[in-house]
Amino acid sequence: MNEAGTALRSVRVVVVDDHTIFRSGLKADLDSRIDVVGEAGTVDDAVRVIAEQRPEVVLLDVHLPGGLGGGGREVITKSAPLLGTTSFLALSVSDAAEDVVAVIRAGARGYVTKTISGAEISDAVIRVADGDAVFSPRLAGFVLDAFGTSPAEIADDELDRLSARELEVMRLIARGYSYKEVAKELFISIKTVETHVSAVLRKLQLSSRHELTKWAAERRLL
Amino acid sequence: MIAGVCSGLAAHLGWPVKYLRIGMLLAAFAGGAGLVFYAWLWILVPTADEGARRAARSPASPIAPAVSLPAPGAAASAPGGLSSVRVAAPWFTGRGIRYGKELLLGAGLLFVAGILVAQQLGVDLPLGTLIPAAAILGGAAIAWMQLDESRRAGLRDKTKADQAGGWVRLAAGLALVVAGVLVMVSGSGSWEQTWLALLASVAVLGGVALVLLPWGLKFWKDLENERAGRVRETERAEIAAHLHDSVLQTLALIQRRAGSEQDVIRLARAQERELRGWLYRDQAADAGHLADRIKAVAAEVEDTHGHLVEVVSVGDAPMTERHEALVQAAREAMLNAARHGGGAVSVYLESSDTGSDVFVKDRGPGFDPAAVPQDRLGVRESIVGRMKRHGGTAVIDSGPSGTEVRLSLPAAAGPDERNGEGKP
Repeated sequence: MNEAGTALRSVRVVVVDDHTIFRSGLKADLDSRIDVVGEAGTVDDAVRVIAEQRPEVVLLDVHLPGGLGGGGREVITKSAPLLGTTSFLALSVSDAAEDVVAVIRAGARGYVTKTISGAEISDAVIRVADGDAVFSPRLAGFVLDAFGTSPAEIADDELDRLSARELEVMRLIARGYSYKEVAKELFISIKTVETHVSAVLRKLQLSSRHELTKWAAERRLL
Repeated sequence: MIAGVCSGLAAHLGWPVKYLRIGMLLAAFAGGAGLVFYAWLWILVPTADEGARRAARSPASPIAPAVSLPAPGAAASAPGGLSSVRVAAPWFTGRGIRYGKELLLGAGLLFVAGILVAQQLGVDLPLGTLIPAAAILGGAAIAWMQLDESRRAGLRDKTKADQAGGWVRLAAGLALVVAGVLVMVSGSGSWEQTWLALLASVAVLGGVALVLLPWGLKFWKDLENERAGRVRETERAEIAAHLHDSVLQTLALIQRRAGSEQDVIRLARAQERELRGWLYRDQAADAGHLADRIKAVAAEVEDTHGHLVEVVSVGDAPMTERHEALVQAAREAMLNAARHGGGAVSVYLESSDTGSDVFVKDRGPGFDPAAVPQDRLGVRESIVGRMKRHGGTAVIDSGPSGTEVRLSLPAAAGPDERNGEGKP
């Protein structure tokens, strides 16, 4: 209740995770701005519950049983018609790049690790509900790894590279800065930071850049 | 010009192709020695492709894509050559494996030469027996070589091409042995008899094979099944052993220490890190590189202080003395962050051609600015001083919302790295 603007909001959320203990723990951790309207433990349940409830945000575990074995990515693909109104926030214990990048490229708006606190997850949910992207330091690291750390001079497609500013933002997030701290460091508004992050997310989702696919393919080989 | 042997040799020896070709031509006129030498090289020296394939198949680099790099110089310096496919192989790489075989071949050739010389000198040798015996021995050797190789290959993945080659070799060995036996036997009797005997033996062999085939197939299948089962069992046992050694032990410890929250967190975190490393270990990253070292140091700090230290790394660099200094400075920064800053410690490592940067950031609400000043002198020495001595820089940015230590080590171009740690 510290911020009047967000306190009024109540975001409808569906929690998808195959561990009941984790689901109940997460529900208890989320603060009052979050209204959990449904739960699911398998791919098929998740698709059904999401279609019924039409939540604003789905907290989605990357690894899920059921369906065709595609896990969280499959849930997003099967709920594709709802992507306009429902946002997905990936939640994972896995550090593996292929898991994270796969679910982002399927359409998730962000990625957080399961170890972060309830307040942080709540903030992330609100941010995703507002249409912004949520990047953890590790996801920022993956992005920098995939797109390279120097701004490319020549690229035939704008999607294929990060601008110097986007690189700066990604680097600061990888260093553990919050959006607010990034804004302060770069003398820009938080809204601008969010715009940059969303732009990076879009590139990560849409780019067919050679390096990105190669990078992903190499990872998958391991 | 014919098989690219000259250009290959030139690439290997580093001599111009032209001279080699002229030399080879001259040698060819000198009693055909050049021709023999050419043919010998053509047959025995593996092509660049083969060499690359062999190198790619070696278990040292299981992930490296099998790119067969054509030797650029050799390909370019064969003007108008019909095919410059065959270029000299890197003998030095193949030698380790092929040494024994080459030695054997040499011995055999020497033996043959000895026989020829002896005959020239007038010594009467029973060639009628010697040649078939040599054929049998050679055939058996070829077949056994195949057995040995297939056993070795069984550990790696078997490809169809390998198997086809193996069959060819086996067939060649068999043919040699059969021909040898045939000649040996026919030496003693008439051809008619030999044919009859041969027919009879083939018939007997065929009958025996027909009778034994079902059993043989069954045994073979059982053997395969058993082998697959054993592999699965070994894998399962390994996983079980690992889980027992690590996860179960930790869970038991956690139950006993349930009273102390700090201990439980520390144990859980250490176990998580260990299991994560086991499950998602990046096989491509060479152990002992910078990213690995930074992660190891972070784990150590995490264990001693029970503080979460999150490491994100982009790129990697091989370790040098200077990088070790970077790791030590980063360790000092992490220790300080864990000791004085609250909350999780974020570590970010970025390595590229231009250098390596490490950022250590803490941002805890429990941060006490008063604790900083008297401590920062020590920090200055062990972080800033150390980085300077190795041609890097360290910036410490401390504010009420946390501290960030930025360490930067430019690539090798920096000043003399042998500056010595003991210098004041």
